[in-house]
Amino acid sequence: MRESGGTGEQLARLMRRAQEGQSAAYAELLREVAPLLRSEIRRRLRFLPPQDVEDLVQDVLLSLHVVRSTYDPARPFLPWLMAIAHNRVVDGIRRQVRRNANEVAVDEPPETFATDATNRFDESYGDPEALRQAMQRLPQGQRTAIELVKLREMSLKEAAAVSGMSVPALKVAVHRGIGALRKVLNVEGKA
Amino acid sequence: MNTDDLIRQLSGANAPVRPLRPPWARALLWLVLAVPYVALVILLHPHTPEVAESMTDLRLVIEILAALATGVTAAWAAFASTVPGADRRILWLPVLPGSVWAATLGAGCLDDWLQYGAEALALRPDWDCLPPAILVGTLPLISILVMLRRGAPLRPRLSVLLAALAVAGLGNAGMRLFHPGDATIMILIWHVGVAFALTALAGLAGKAVLSWRQAWARVQPRGYA
Repeated sequence: MRESGGTGEQLARLMRRAQEGQSAAYAELLREVAPLLRSEIRRRLRFLPPQDVEDLVQDVLLSLHVVRSTYDPARPFLPWLMAIAHNRVVDGIRRQVRRNANEVAVDEPPETFATDATNRFDESYGDPEALRQAMQRLPQGQRTAIELVKLREMSLKEAAAVSGMSVPALKVAVHRGIGALRKVLNVEGKA
Repeated sequence: MNTDDLIRQLSGANAPVRPLRPPWARALLWLVLAVPYVALVILLHPHTPEVAESMTDLRLVIEILAALATGVTAAWAAFASTVPGADRRILWLPVLPGSVWAATLGAGCLDDWLQYGAEALALRPDWDCLPPAILVGTLPLISILVMLRRGAPLRPRLSVLLAALAVAGLGNAGMRLFHPGDATIMILIWHVGVAFALTALAGLAGKAVLSWRQAWARVQPRGYA
């Protein structure tokens, strides 16, 4: 993608200010580039479900964050951004291909045993809305820890880098968060 | 986590960063460190380098200059490979001096073969050369890898391969001064073959040295509430 006049210039200015340590400019920059990335990823990967598109957008934002010192203020911003995006998209496709190669799509999950007792899993976890609400009720630290470690499947190290929490704190937060979720969902399930 | 939350966290963790210098300037910085080190290792070696004799042999002068040029351009290309959006043509810079370097070595071998026959192809281990060869490469390799880790791990294998080629070029230019008269297969194997084998191995190990996971782990944002 070429630098498109005003947008590119404006983003370059914001990036320069972000490199100087201005958090407000950095937040504005990231808010501006997120939709650009979203549409670029959608354009390249039309088959990708929205959640995966969002994961890739976040992946690019994270990557931009860790290599923001590689941006040369004298050069255009958009080619720099899109080179990172391209790299992360290609990696994302590779991950997807690897994942697909190891997964078998089935319409109905096969039952291992026919008795009811062994098949209660589907019934008790069939309400994603309840889970979402239960997640919302968790304290911020526990929610972030579960989102990063369990839902986005980051390693503890990566999650620590993103959240700023220490690895032991993350472990504790995940443990307590899962406990709290189990409690809430079980209580509500029985009610 | 939704994207807005992530943006809040990242901007909250933002601290001033000094933009990296352009790739050519970083290559220069590396050379300022690596060249005196290579010179020092050569000067401290028990064999006296035969600089005067080396400079009278045109083929050898071209070979040493080509090895040096390969080292310099490979370092430039290595640093450029870690800058998003950098001109990709820079990555091809080492090809020309690298080809000249390989051609001069090939010509040397051919000369020897024509002059001495099969004897020139005899392979004998040259263990004396190994410790200084390793010593010559160690600090330049470590320093260039440390410098590369400040960049973006866009093409880890290529970046590390180019870095190893830079070290091989520089190191070989220095080591060649010990063997001005030789251009045998033995020298080719011990000096250049080993250097290229290590370069290829380093390239394969690229992802262990440079990766996004490591880059993420190195950055610990603060300000998380």
